[in-house]
Parts: sequence; structure tokens; C-alpha cells
Amino acid sequence: MRSNLLRICFLFLFCSPLSWAASSNSADTHEFLLSNGLKLIVREDHRAPTVAHMVWYRAGSIDEVNGRTGVAHVLEHMMFKGTHQVKSGEFSRLVAAVGGRENAFTSRDYTAYFQQVEKSKLDEVIKLEADRMSNLNFDDAEFLKEIQVVMEERRLRTEDNPSSLLNESLMATAYMTTPYRHPVIGWMNDLQNMKPADARDWYRSWYAPNNATVVISGDVDPKQILKAVEKYYGVIARQVLPERKPQIEPLQKGIKQVQVRAVADSAQLAMAWKVPRLEPGKLDDPEPYALELLTAVLDGYDNARLNRVLVKQEKVVNDVGVAYDMISRGPELFLISVSMAKGKTVAQAQASIRKALNELKQKGILDSELKRIKVRILSDQIYKRDSIFGQAMEIGTTEMAGFSWKDIDYMLEKMQTITPEQVQAVAQKYLVDPGLTIAVLDPQARNSAASKEGK
Amino acid sequence: MNALKKSILICLLTFGYLATAHAILPIEKLDTFKGSKGFLVQTKALPMVDIEVSIDAGDRFDPSGKSGLADMAAGLMNYGVRGDQGILSEAQIADEIADLGANISLSVGGERAILRIRSLSRKDLRDRAVKLAAAMLSSPTYETKIVEREKQRTITNLLEAETKPEFVLERRFAKSIYGNYPLGNTPTVKSVTAVSAKDLTQFHQQFYRSDRMIVSIVGDVDRAQANEIMQTLLQKIPQSGNPITKVPELQRSPVEPLAQREIHIPFDSQQAHIAMGMTAVTRSNPDYFPLLVGNYILGGGGFVSRLMSEVREKRGLAYSVSSYFAPGKDTGIFRAGLQTKNDQATMALEVMSSTIAKFIADGPTTSELIAAKSNLVNGYPLRIDNNRKLLDNVSSIAWNDLPLDTMEVWTKQVEAVTLEQVSTAFQKYLAMDRMKIVVLGAKNK
Repeated sequence: MRSNLLRICFLFLFCSPLSWAASSNSADTHEFLLSNGLKLIVREDHRAPTVAHMVWYRAGSIDEVNGRTGVAHVLEHMMFKGTHQVKSGEFSRLVAAVGGRENAFTSRDYTAYFQQVEKSKLDEVIKLEADRMSNLNFDDAEFLKEIQVVMEERRLRTEDNPSSLLNESLMATAYMTTPYRHPVIGWMNDLQNMKPADARDWYRSWYAPNNATVVISGDVDPKQILKAVEKYYGVIARQVLPERKPQIEPLQKGIKQVQVRAVADSAQLAMAWKVPRLEPGKLDDPEPYALELLTAVLDGYDNARLNRVLVKQEKVVNDVGVAYDMISRGPELFLISVSMAKGKTVAQAQASIRKALNELKQKGILDSELKRIKVRILSDQIYKRDSIFGQAMEIGTTEMAGFSWKDIDYMLEKMQTITPEQVQAVAQKYLVDPGLTIAVLDPQARNSAASKEGK
Repeated sequence: MNALKKSILICLLTFGYLATAHAILPIEKLDTFKGSKGFLVQTKALPMVDIEVSIDAGDRFDPSGKSGLADMAAGLMNYGVRGDQGILSEAQIADEIADLGANISLSVGGERAILRIRSLSRKDLRDRAVKLAAAMLSSPTYETKIVEREKQRTITNLLEAETKPEFVLERRFAKSIYGNYPLGNTPTVKSVTAVSAKDLTQFHQQFYRSDRMIVSIVGDVDRAQANEIMQTLLQKIPQSGNPITKVPELQRSPVEPLAQREIHIPFDSQQAHIAMGMTAVTRSNPDYFPLLVGNYILGGGGFVSRLMSEVREKRGLAYSVSSYFAPGKDTGIFRAGLQTKNDQATMALEVMSSTIAKFIADGPTTSELIAAKSNLVNGYPLRIDNNRKLLDNVSSIAWNDLPLDTMEVWTKQVEAVTLEQVSTAFQKYLAMDRMKIVVLGAKNK
């Protein structure tokens, strides 16, 4: 991957409803703060002799400025292109030699790098990762090749992908000021005009120990880990970070609509409402939890409301998805996306969605629906522990959004206290027209009518 | 329900992490039951269990003109069953799975259909999940109304897929490489339309028999409990039935002039998509390890493979490029592929071809071989470090009839691979004048 990138992974991989919330266990987790500002979090899990090592930089596309969209992700690619000590491509060769798996990914909120290794090889990858935190040194020729690779990545994931194009337009329409309106991979024109200096400036601005969190999970001894982390990361100097402007999105005052024409067979419809997120320090706000639960009531299992009504009973849509992230650095949307069933129109689908939401707003939800979702959340806490890497992911994403891993248990407990009335209340309050953005994919035939080839 | 919630919280508190021995966990063979074999790896650290049933009922058994039948036979098992207490509707099944906090998934590949259960290991919850899965396996109703709805959904999805470059490429490549072998025909609107509820019932009766099933279990259950799970799963399934016609052998890709092997599909996407490959080997082939190690060097080793280096690192031609072998119980294929903007397609194909050709002709260097072995051997613990990965391994060992000590000797077998073995194996199984090539994209300017 080297750029898992984008909202895509959040929609389909990590953000299946409520999946952000897995268990943590205070006794097994240890936090340290180095004198240079680097935070280290160690999660012990001794089931197997392996370990995941991740470094998270609080620098994502939300920190980018106009004309340089995509630079966070481009720099992620350049991080494999050599340091003063380690020449281009050598990083990956050294990780491979110790049997490691490695990659990196960029999101709106952060950029993260990771290696998974057998535990005796941990020291080696810590050393390599610490080296590129302060010693990155790529030449212009490497940049010029790699920016071509990034443009190929954009062609693959976005230009030839109608759902991505729709999502890109939805975000750019829903938001006026927040950088969330720009795609993580960047606009093509910005990529075409990006210079090596843009990537180097980004690196110098944000890649500092006081803007990074190292998360290590697996079969490790926290005291030994601390020693290794101090030895390699501890020598890097703290630096002054650029000022982050709040860029608060102004209140939306009415429905927004956008249409995207792209090659596809079925039309698609996305309806996105502005909703609150959980704010650090305000963990008792019930609304974000209620919105998470609402997501699951609508789309959390095969017989959840929208799938049951829209796909199976009315047969008006072919597929439905609902997404909401309770924790993030920027503003949040509550997103319902559908693709049309054969012969059904976007207007019919929208009417059915509205009808289902109105029924929920008027009659509320059943106690049994909510209990079902809560049981699922609890069992997921156990299943999540099967993955050492998943545990490190959860800690990292939580920390990057401005929370502590220690908050995770509290959030889970809080989630269990939410009532059907609270779920109904957020639907009534937020799923309303003034904060709604509607994006429609208008399907176009391909010029070369070649898609019938090869049956 | 409240009792359930409490019990899960208690599980969290009492189980915690139980350190297990770091030796590779043994695979136990369960009691054969109604002609079915079962396998177990016990892992006690988490109060959960993963269960898989592999059914010899994959896509290769699709009758002519009805491609998609095997997929639907498995995929519709959770949309209505005849259980102990009468009919369970799709809604009741979905609610029950959710209430148990369990997952039940169905998937179908070329060779086999797979049902997987993930459940908490507490007996009452586990029993209900297993019973439900047993009903799905033995008594799906395939109600006409639901079959028609799902057929329509599948058709809509197919029409959408036919606008996508990767799907059109895959379909044409399958035709090219498999020819008249059943996997050469992938589902189409026409073939899915032709499938009826009666076809599904017949297919199910014919192929869903316990002598065509293998059970693999990983997690917090002991041998006796695992035997019980297996017996519950297979209790109501007939052991055998009418003989089933054998699938024909997949014939080796023949030597052909380039014009007959290479196909160009005009397509106005921004990127051209390119695939190249030929028939290869079974998983049980003695040359499996030389091919595994060799392919790591050629195109399997992520950022450090030759294909990645030539296509991406040196020339910036593509975001992803790779090669793999997909060996199964039957002969599988070798495949390499990439995507690049249209005006670079010819160049990218040339670089990919010459990289593969050179590797077949000259083999790897000594330092490449050392690096590959070092990665595969040092990285082996990462292939088996959780229940899900263990289940993948057990399931593959069981399906492919591999020795039960396969995981224990895996690194030794990698270590033993020589430079000469890699070269010999690649020359024996791959040949450039046999490679099928499909290029989808706009004509080069």
C-alpha cells in the first residue's frame, strides 16, 4: 500500500460501525513521555513472539494549505527514499531482511509508518524508523519518479473510480473552509505542480519527536522497549511546530447538492449531514455515542433497518452503507450511501431513505435493536484482541484524534449507557435538511463500447 | 441479554492474556465423522473460537451456461433455513447471529465453498452459533422470492462491474488462461439469469455432503468439545450421494505465437490494466518451495521485488506491480500484473515481460536468494501469530492434504531451497512463449 490512504480505508476497513472501539487494558498498557516530547505507548500481548512497531505523526491532509494538497501523502512516499545513512530503497531491504512486513498510510488526521517483526528484530526497526524521523535526505531525481507513482495511484483509486469521484465532490461541497474538503491524495493539478521543496518543507515542519507518538504492541518488556526508544528516538531534538489555525467550518444554512457524471452503470446517491464529534475533555457528551449507535441500528448487521427496508423489502437500492466516525480532528459527517436497484431512480431512493429516517425519528427504536448492537460491541472487544496490529492501530488513531488510549474503556462504558431515546434524539436533531449535502452519481456509458467484450 | 453482557465483561476481566508456549502449536486430528475429516489447534488465551467448514463445491462445478450457481448456492444459505423448530427467515437468522455476538460468513472460490463462524467460546453462545450454521449447511430453503431478489442484485452488480477496467480484465484473463476448463467461464448476466431456485436445491443436494466437507477449528475449545462441534455441524447432512463427474484436468498453457496469446481490449479508462500468466502447479507439488522463494524475489516481495524495482522504483511506471502463484488442490496459475497510464502501457508491458523472461532464463543471484530466505524464515512467526491466521494455515493444510507438521517444517523447507532448484523450477513450469497476455486500455499513441 504505502498509502492506505484516504477516506476509502476509513469507510470500508476501519470504520465498520463502532469498530474504533476495542478494549484496552490498563495493566497491559504503559505510557512514557520522553524529554524531547515523544510519546511512547506499549501494549503487552504475549500470545505470540511478534511485535508491531508504529510511529504516528500528527500531520495529515488537514494540516495542508492551498496549492499543496496531497503533500502529506507524497512525503509519506518519499520517506522510503533515503536518509544520510541509509540510501534510497535500503530501508525496505533492511526491514525485509529481518523478516519484517512494513508499510505506511496517510489520512486526513495523521501519517503513520509501521513494521511487524519477530520480537528479537524490534531493535533493528526502531533504529531505522528513528533515523528517518530526522535524517531524511532524498534527491530531486527520486522525487520526480515518485510523484509519477503517486499520480498513478490517484488514477487507480480516484480517476477511474466513480465512487471515489463522488466522495471527492461530496466533501468539496459539504465543506467550505475546513481542509477536509480536499482529498488526502491531493488534486491532480496540485500533484502535477508539486516540487521537491514542498515535500522537504512539509518534513521539516512536522516530523519532530514532539509531534509523534510511537506505539508498540506485542510480546515485549516495556522497560527494555523504553531503553531502546530512548536510545534511538531520544536523541532527536524537539522543535517548534507551525501554528495550526482552527479553520472552523461555518454553520451550513441549507441543502447543498452536487452531481458527478462518470462512467458507471447504476446511479449512486450520498446523503451527508453535519453532526458533532466527540471532543477531547468532553467524554460525557452523549450525542456522539448515540450517533455511533444510530449508525449500527441503520446498518450494523444484515437485518439492520436500512438493509432490511431498502434492499430486501422495497428493493429500491442494491446496496446501502452508513458511516460516521465519532473521533477525528476535524468536523464529522453522518453519511448514508446507496447504489440504485435496476429501474429505480435516485428520487425514489431518497424518498425511501427519508421515510425510514422519519419513522425512526417519530417512533424511536426498539430496546431489542439497541441491545443487539451493544452485545456486538462487547463481543468485538474480544475479537479485536486477536490482532496485535489491530491493537496498535486502535491506540494510534485514538491518540491522533486528541484522546488518550486510557479514554477507550471509558468510551465503551459510556456507549453501554445510551438509551433508545438518546438515539432517537440525535436523529431528530441532526438528520435535518439545513445541514444536509446530497451528491448524485449520474452514470455515463463508456466511449469505447468495449465493456461487453470477453463474456 | 443482560446476563450475556455481564458474562462478556467478566470474560474480559478473568481471561486477560494467558501466555502460551512459543513453540508452534500442534494440529490435532479430530475423529472422522460421516466421512469428513476435522482438525483442531487449541489456543486458550482468548475466550473465542474460529470454525471453518470447507466444502468441495467451488465455482469449477458450475454447469455450462449457469456460471454463478456455486456462488449463489453458498451465498444464499443464510437467507432462510429449515431448523429444528421450523423455518427460520433471513431476518431471524441475521438477528440471531447479531444477538450471539457471532459472525458467520460464506465465500466461494474456484475449488471450494467456505463457511466460517467466529464465536465467543462460552458453551451456550457457541452451541447456538454452531446449530444455526449446521442448519444453513444442511437445510437452506432457497425460497423463490428471495432467490429472484438476490439474482437481480447480482445482475445489477455484474452490470456495474462490467464498467470497471479491473473486472473486464479479470474476466477476459480467466477465459484466456482457463480456456474450456470450467473456471474459464465467469458469471454473466445471462448465466445468472439462467439459475433457478430448483438449480440451487439440486446443486446443494449434490455437493453439500459430509464426505465433501472438512472442518477446521482454532481457539478456546478442547478436543472433546471440538469433536462435538464437528458432529453438530454435520449431523443432518447426508454422508454421500450420486457420484459426481470429475472436473477435467487443467491443461498446461500451450506454446503459441504472440498474436494468439496476447489480447487487447479497447477501453477508455485513464489507466491501462495489464495481466500476464499461465498454468502452474498444485500446492502439494514438491517444487512448491523453490517457486515460493523464487516468486518472492521476482514479484512477491513487496517493495523489494525485481518487478517493483524495475517498474516502480526505477521508472515510476505504476503504483502497484506484483506476481504470484495460486496453487490449490488442483493445478493453479502464475500471474503478474500492473496498471499504468495509457500512453505508458507498451513500455510497462515490455519492462514486466523482460523482467520475468530474464528471471526464468537466469534465475536469482546468490544475494537475492539469501535475502529472500532471510525474509521468509525470519518472518514466519508473523504468518501464525493469531487465531485467524492459524485457521488459514490449518484450513490450507487440511484442504491440500499436506502433512500435519507442515507449519513446523516450513522454515526448514525454505532454508533448503537452492539457487539451482529455483532456476530449474521456474524453467520447468514457466515459459514466455506460453504466457497469456491481456492488455486493457486505449490504443497507444
